[in-house]
Amino acid sequence: MIVAEGKPVEKILEMVAPFKKVLIAGCRGCVTVCLTGGEKEVGILASQIRMARSKDGNPIEILEQTEERQCDAEYNAKFLENVEQVDAIVSLACGIGIQYLGEKYPATPIFPGVNTLMLGANIDVGKWEERCMACGDCVLDKTGGICPITRCSKSLLNGPCGGSQYGKCEVSTPAKEDIPCGWQLIYDRLSALGQLDKMKEIIPSKNWLRAKGPRTYVREDLTLDRS
Amino acid sequence: MTITNIRIGIYLCDCDGKVSKNVDLSKVKTAIQSQAEFEYIREADVVCGTAEQEKVAAEIDKYSLNRLLIVGCNDPFITRKFVQLAEEKGINRYSVEFLDLSAVNSVEAAVSAINSRLGKLHLREQIGYEELAVTPDVLVIGSGSEAAAVAKAISKNQPVVRIDHETKKVVGVDGFPGNFTVRLLENGKTSKHSFGAIVLALGAQPQYDAAKYGGVNLDERTLSLSQFINADKNYAGKKISFVLGKADADSLLSFAAVLKSSLDLKGKGASEVDVIYDDMKVCADGLEQEYELARKKGVNFLKYDGEFQINSASDGATFQYREPFLPIEATRVAADYLVLAEDFVPVAATQELAEILDIRTGPGGWFQKDNVHFLPIKSNRAYILFVGSCHGPIHGTDLYNEIEAVVAEVSAFAKGKAQVPSLQPRVEAKKCAVCLTCYRCCPHHAIEIVHGDEYDNMYNSAARMNPLACQRCGICAGECPGKAIQLPLYSDQEVLFEVKQPAKIVAYACENSGFLASEFAKTLDPQLQKALQIVEVPCSGKIDVIYLLKALENGADGVMLLVCHKENCKYVWGNNRAEQRKERAQALLNQVGLGDRIEFVHVAANQGNQFNAAVKEMAEKIRQSGTNPGKVVK
Ligand code: SF4
Ligand code: SF4
Ligand code: SF4
Ligand code: SF4
Repeated sequence: MIVAEGKPVEKILEMVAPFKKVLIAGCRGCVTVCLTGGEKEVGILASQIRMARSKDGNPIEILEQTEERQCDAEYNAKFLENVEQVDAIVSLACGIGIQYLGEKYPATPIFPGVNTLMLGANIDVGKWEERCMACGDCVLDKTGGICPITRCSKSLLNGPCGGSQYGKCEVSTPAKEDIPCGWQLIYDRLSALGQLDKMKEIIPSKNWLRAKGPRTYVREDLTLDRS
Repeated sequence: MTITNIRIGIYLCDCDGKVSKNVDLSKVKTAIQSQAEFEYIREADVVCGTAEQEKVAAEIDKYSLNRLLIVGCNDPFITRKFVQLAEEKGINRYSVEFLDLSAVNSVEAAVSAINSRLGKLHLREQIGYEELAVTPDVLVIGSGSEAAAVAKAISKNQPVVRIDHETKKVVGVDGFPGNFTVRLLENGKTSKHSFGAIVLALGAQPQYDAAKYGGVNLDERTLSLSQFINADKNYAGKKISFVLGKADADSLLSFAAVLKSSLDLKGKGASEVDVIYDDMKVCADGLEQEYELARKKGVNFLKYDGEFQINSASDGATFQYREPFLPIEATRVAADYLVLAEDFVPVAATQELAEILDIRTGPGGWFQKDNVHFLPIKSNRAYILFVGSCHGPIHGTDLYNEIEAVVAEVSAFAKGKAQVPSLQPRVEAKKCAVCLTCYRCCPHHAIEIVHGDEYDNMYNSAARMNPLACQRCGICAGECPGKAIQLPLYSDQEVLFEVKQPAKIVAYACENSGFLASEFAKTLDPQLQKALQIVEVPCSGKIDVIYLLKALENGADGVMLLVCHKENCKYVWGNNRAEQRKERAQALLNQVGLGDRIEFVHVAANQGNQFNAAVKEMAEKIRQSGTNPGKVVK
């Protein structure tokens, strides 16, 4: 799931400073699940901004609406009536949703109400951990099901660096709790699986060059010809 | 169930002159008539009188009333009487509201209080009753005498299965009260069984702690009390000395066992029996008589004080101590066998079962947390009950009382069906993102995720609250990121309606502590309540961040959360969730420079003075921060 955190409200207040009527758009997908951009947070942010603007003697009117997913055009169509009434939109969806909703309504400025953080798992209420960085060429088969790109702080592909000590990554600091060394995790898992020989295989370096621009994904077998 | 045609009857009762001495009821009536929506209104001197009740009954028919607002007092006797009348007329108790006007002293205040209640009555969904099929069978877990006693008592009403959790073990529990599916492991095989309720009667485990006896190890002649009891040897002609008071200082179990054993020994011809003690504890049913009887039969009771020394040899053991009352240096008791009392600790399975059943252990690893709101037999899950020493050693009457309470509780399922008011939260599937937050935050394990075409969201799934397991705290509703959950009688609509035009200070008060304290506080300092509006919630865990913000946005200068004392929330962690939400809401205010406007107060029902002190402090806080500049003028 995509995990996001709320943007500091002073930033959002700056973005909406010139406007008198704004829509806060929530998403019932990932950002509801990660407790950042669902109907509840929409209500909280709206209330906070209304009060902040009243205090500054510059009242603002805020509409609130939350729909299934902002990464699908059909759902974004549902915002039409409210978008038509406002000067700007603040979206609490992830970066995908924010852009995609903005594309639907190009005449209305759209602003991010969240910082999109990662692809992660919900460890427990209020705790998320990154597990995948969408590298586009998955190597989990070679690494015991543990992602070296994500779990190794340096995204090393062929074993730990010299900073791996007692199972911890050298990037750990007292402020940031002990970070397990990703390669130690991989080693432990492979050794439990009896597949340590997999460590010997050299994983070639990935092509991070995005010469082809933003990634797209097309399945010819599924694309629909509407002509 | 929504009811389309709501017809409210309002009764303005003068409570025999008590109300009209402060407010002119006819003015109140005129004001209400001009602004509110209702079917029928009238004044009465004493609406609870018999003649009046008949009149009300007739009016319910005449005007087809289906909801009632009784404005007057809040006397439990009278509210009960009205509820009965209403139910006889087919209006259920959840459609009747009472409003106490005795502390109100202006027409405006009375009208606004009535309007607020009326609004809630309009918004309230109709509560029905559900009849559920349940399994009458009860599972009792435990091998000792306590388990046997409770199983026997329950078996008079309904089937019981007792397992020892050794040869036959519980390895998993699914489902909800009335229909738990328990997985049992026996001889390496698991099987599934259905039970309506589960009773834990594991007893307590005696454990000898040498450190309590100056490092003395047990041997042939120095025995622990349980070794002595289990060996059940013939001690005819022998001298036995029991030592009490060093271990198991807080319970009566050892005292009871020693008294019983001394009497047995006397009956079976032991030559001499001593009970060496520091304080004799007989404060339980029957113990005092046993003590008297033991004395009569010639058991020696010897009091020691402080230091002592134990020596064990192959032919006997000695106990040397200081006699507190005699001016002699040391007394030495020599016996054939010295028997030392032990501590009681939870049996090994306690923690394991706590995890399997999702129930909690408290101090010392016993079942149940220390919490004044928890009834002794109740766990955090409905119909998973404790009896006996597994939640701290108990004895005698206390045990029998618990057994009786458990029998009464589980008998609700004896007939194979149970009727419950449908008061568990509702989930609007369209808004549910199946995020599992409610499921994880429910302290009572009352939520499941269900699937089916009827759930109209992209997952065809939604959370569902079980009516028998749910204890209606509303914590789940306060957590839901999709605002999908509404708790009947306390829906967001109903609660937020109350703070549409808030008083200067809005106090969200838990009905188990803060609300009761506020009622008490009223009698101590009625003036203080003028600028205060109490909004009752079933548990502080129901207080949503948005409730705090909305009260301020709508114009309150300050908001309070009145919650149960730490570790004493009736719903386990509702007050902790409330505190976390308070922190969040205050941070949101700080971010936009609205100042310190939220006060979090732990208060017990009987702390009216503390309540008033907290209100004064809040008022002072507001005086310093100034009126709320964030108020949104509509
Ligand atoms: S817009 Fe973003 S947050 Fe919302 S469902 Fe799509 S990916 Fe998830
Ligand atoms: S290797 Fe890691 S980052 Fe790449 S796709 Fe697999 S899990 Fe994701
Ligand atoms: S917390 Fe709300 S959105 Fe999440 S599962 Fe429960 S009902 Fe659904
Ligand atoms: S109201 Fe309380 S007990 Fe009931 S489901 Fe919600 S959190 Fe659980």
